[in-house]
Amino acid sequence: MSAFELEAVVAGYGGRAVLHGVSLSIAANGSLAVVGPNGSGKSTLMKTAVGLVRPTSGRVLLEGGDVTRLDAPGRARRGLGYVPQEANVFRNMSVRENLKIGLEFVPGRVRASFAQRLSAMLELFPELEPKLGTLAGHLSGGQRQMVAMAAALMPAPSFLALDEPSAGLSPRNAALLFEVIGRVARYGVTLLMIEQNTRLGLGAADEGLVLVSGEVKAKGPAAGLLDDPQMRSLYLGSR
Amino acid sequence: MISYLIATSALVIIAAIAGLALNLQWGLGGLVNFGLFGFYMLGAYVCGLFSVWGAPPLVAMAGAIVLVALASAATSLISIRLSEDYLAIVTLGFAECLKLFISYEEWLTRGTLGIPGIVRPFAAYVPQGYGDAAFLGFAVLCLVVVFAVFERVARSPFGRLLRASREDPAVADTLGKNVLVLRLKTFALGGAALGIAGSLHAFYYTYIDPTQFGTIITAYAFMAVVIGGRGSNVGVLIASFTVIALLEGSRFLIDVFPVLDGSQLAALRLFLVGAGLVAILIFKPDGLVREYRLRATRS
Amino acid sequence: MAQLLFNGLVTGLLIALPALSLSLTFSVLRFANYAIGAQITLGAYAVYLFNVPLGWPLLLSTAAGMVLAVAVGLLVQALAYEPLRARSSVTRLVASIGVALALENVVRFFAGNSPRGYGVEIARPLRIAGLRINQEQITIMLSVLVALVLVWVVFRFTRLGRAMRAVADDADLAAVRGIRRGRVVAMVWVLASALATLAGVLIGLDATLDPQMGWNYVLPVFTAAILGGIANPMAAVAGALTLGIASELATLVMAPHYRAIVAFLVMAVLLLVRPSGLFGKQWVAK
Ligand SMILES: Nc1ncnc2c1ncn2[C@@H]1O[C@H](COP(=O)(O)OP(=O)(O)OP(=O)(O)O)[C@@H](O)[C@H]1O
Ligand SMILES: [Mg+2]
Repeated sequence: MSAFELEAVVAGYGGRAVLHGVSLSIAANGSLAVVGPNGSGKSTLMKTAVGLVRPTSGRVLLEGGDVTRLDAPGRARRGLGYVPQEANVFRNMSVRENLKIGLEFVPGRVRASFAQRLSAMLELFPELEPKLGTLAGHLSGGQRQMVAMAAALMPAPSFLALDEPSAGLSPRNAALLFEVIGRVARYGVTLLMIEQNTRLGLGAADEGLVLVSGEVKAKGPAAGLLDDPQMRSLYLGSR
Repeated sequence: MISYLIATSALVIIAAIAGLALNLQWGLGGLVNFGLFGFYMLGAYVCGLFSVWGAPPLVAMAGAIVLVALASAATSLISIRLSEDYLAIVTLGFAECLKLFISYEEWLTRGTLGIPGIVRPFAAYVPQGYGDAAFLGFAVLCLVVVFAVFERVARSPFGRLLRASREDPAVADTLGKNVLVLRLKTFALGGAALGIAGSLHAFYYTYIDPTQFGTIITAYAFMAVVIGGRGSNVGVLIASFTVIALLEGSRFLIDVFPVLDGSQLAALRLFLVGAGLVAILIFKPDGLVREYRLRATRS
Repeated sequence: MAQLLFNGLVTGLLIALPALSLSLTFSVLRFANYAIGAQITLGAYAVYLFNVPLGWPLLLSTAAGMVLAVAVGLLVQALAYEPLRARSSVTRLVASIGVALALENVVRFFAGNSPRGYGVEIARPLRIAGLRINQEQITIMLSVLVALVLVWVVFRFTRLGRAMRAVADDADLAAVRGIRRGRVVAMVWVLASALATLAGVLIGLDATLDPQMGWNYVLPVFTAAILGGIANPMAAVAGALTLGIASELATLVMAPHYRAIVAFLVMAVLLLVRPSGLFGKQWVAK
């Protein structure tokens, strides 16, 4: 059974469709990387997945259940974690409060106290330890990315949606982040991921999907997409 | 009966002119003038004072137009770099302060005693008993002039620029047009119309005091613009002559509803204005008449 | 001089509650609520209803009046502001003028235009360290301080407070973290209405009740909130105190009835010099 599915989703903003019938599915504990040019609708796809954008037609399924009509808080309570592309932290709140909010309003998948989850996160992101009292708005872009990731991981979600998690990170930190993502994935998390850096993104995922102008141009095993010379020259750039 | 009709028509016409002024400032230019009644009041007082100081009525009115336009321009200057929320409170602040000033500076304005004996235009040529009818004619003339001028403005390049900068101030900026000057001109032009409306108010009542002026005047103007459709001058006229006429006409219902006393009826009317304004915003967001440009460009 | 400062402090505290209320609604709902004045009036009269016609003691009446005002606040949110949620903030701002007019005239309809007062005995002013202090002033100071501390604790340290700040900061992100906006908005109106009611009672104690009483506070309240950087609730309190003391000191050179003009001048100068507010050093989104 697939853990997450989109069925012929049409969605957009203010009556203008951005996604024109997108279908995809991710196996339980699997991972899918979505790549594509700027403005192709990747973030819109993700917002539709988490409930911020309502599809005008089509269905969204989470662990077999229809969640198309469920709002974003409802989906979060069903174990869906999300790191947005930008505006991914509460800027006027401290890092600690950001993490606290990550756990406070959703039932965690594991029964653990805030302190336990906090120390688990600090193990994954030791750089955050000295920054706990800092306003998130005062952090660097890369640090914010880590806070956002940690906040989303606080309740140990069963499904994680990441919109360009490596944006703004140095190559070294990006590599570290993908190592964390890999580790998290092994805990039993289904992963939907968008990556500008196609090589990194497709390298970290089982499956890949190429989105162009709101339509699925190709999907298949990530390694296959990476090696396909036609795909590479057409959509993935030469990186 | 006839006198009721004339009284209601006069008030409606004055409200329509104020509505047109707001339509230019807010409807077309996106500048929220919450202190509209202050500029209106200024117009009434300048006109009234000039008149009792011996100026001919038309000269008094011209003075009101110029001074209100200047005051409007100055107020818009305070809000150079500010968003709409701030312009709203700045204009409201101006209005409230002006009202205070007029209420207390008795040497100038006679304070709460008010100014009696304001002379209407052409009063000398009008036969006894026809004063109200003649005034109505003059008011209609003023309305026609304001409407004609504002329609021209709406269709001119200036109007187009206004709409562009309302939607996105950066647009006008990149076009090399100075948004500040644009705001200033819009506010001044609207202010001139408010000077006319205020003067007509003074002429109509021939007596003014501070209690005649309050937020209700602002609310009427917003109603006219919102019902009529933001940006549409024709819409403002339609709204004024239907909804505001109805509301104003209900002033005279006291005779019909003996159950409610006068102040309860007034409260009910104002409640309806407030609730109606919200209802229209919710249920008829585009108003009755589409903005002139929209017919041309919306596909 | 000390007397002026003291009076200014009390004036500032009176403005602080509605300024806090205004700033709360602004930061979460993103629009300037011009009905804040009408909410003050409504609250004051709601308390009056229990206090005088029903003869309840003032403290109990205040609690009952708050419940009534909160109910009205929630009703207004559901009927007026929620349907306009997706529209521009200016639309809601214009709507709030309509709400103000409607609420104020509900009061006028039932209570008439003549001034009224609560059923309390007038006590003799105290003299402490050369200051002349009214009983009302002590009541005002104590209740405002208690209310402010309460709101501060809720805002800063509770789950509800974090939810409010999260929605204020970024409503979408709050939603994906599991925070239901509707509930937070409802709680904001509960707090805002209760604060406005308390302010109404205290203003009524300080002077008299009349349907215009709240409207007269709109300008100072906005000025205080803007002084604090409007989206920053606790700074609105600092703005209110500054304004209260400034306007009291200004009576040295201006007639006392021109306090509102002082507020306007302070605001005009501030907006020209520092549009982000005197105390607004918070990270401003967008
Ligand atoms: N909130 C919004 N309102 C209206 N249109 C939007 C909104 N967000 C995105 N769009 C439009 O939807 C289209 C797709 O945007 P989207 O953010 O999904 O692209 P993307 O693939 O994530 O691009 P990028 O690689 O730059 O992040 C764009 O044309 C954009 O202009
Ligand atoms: Mg994107």
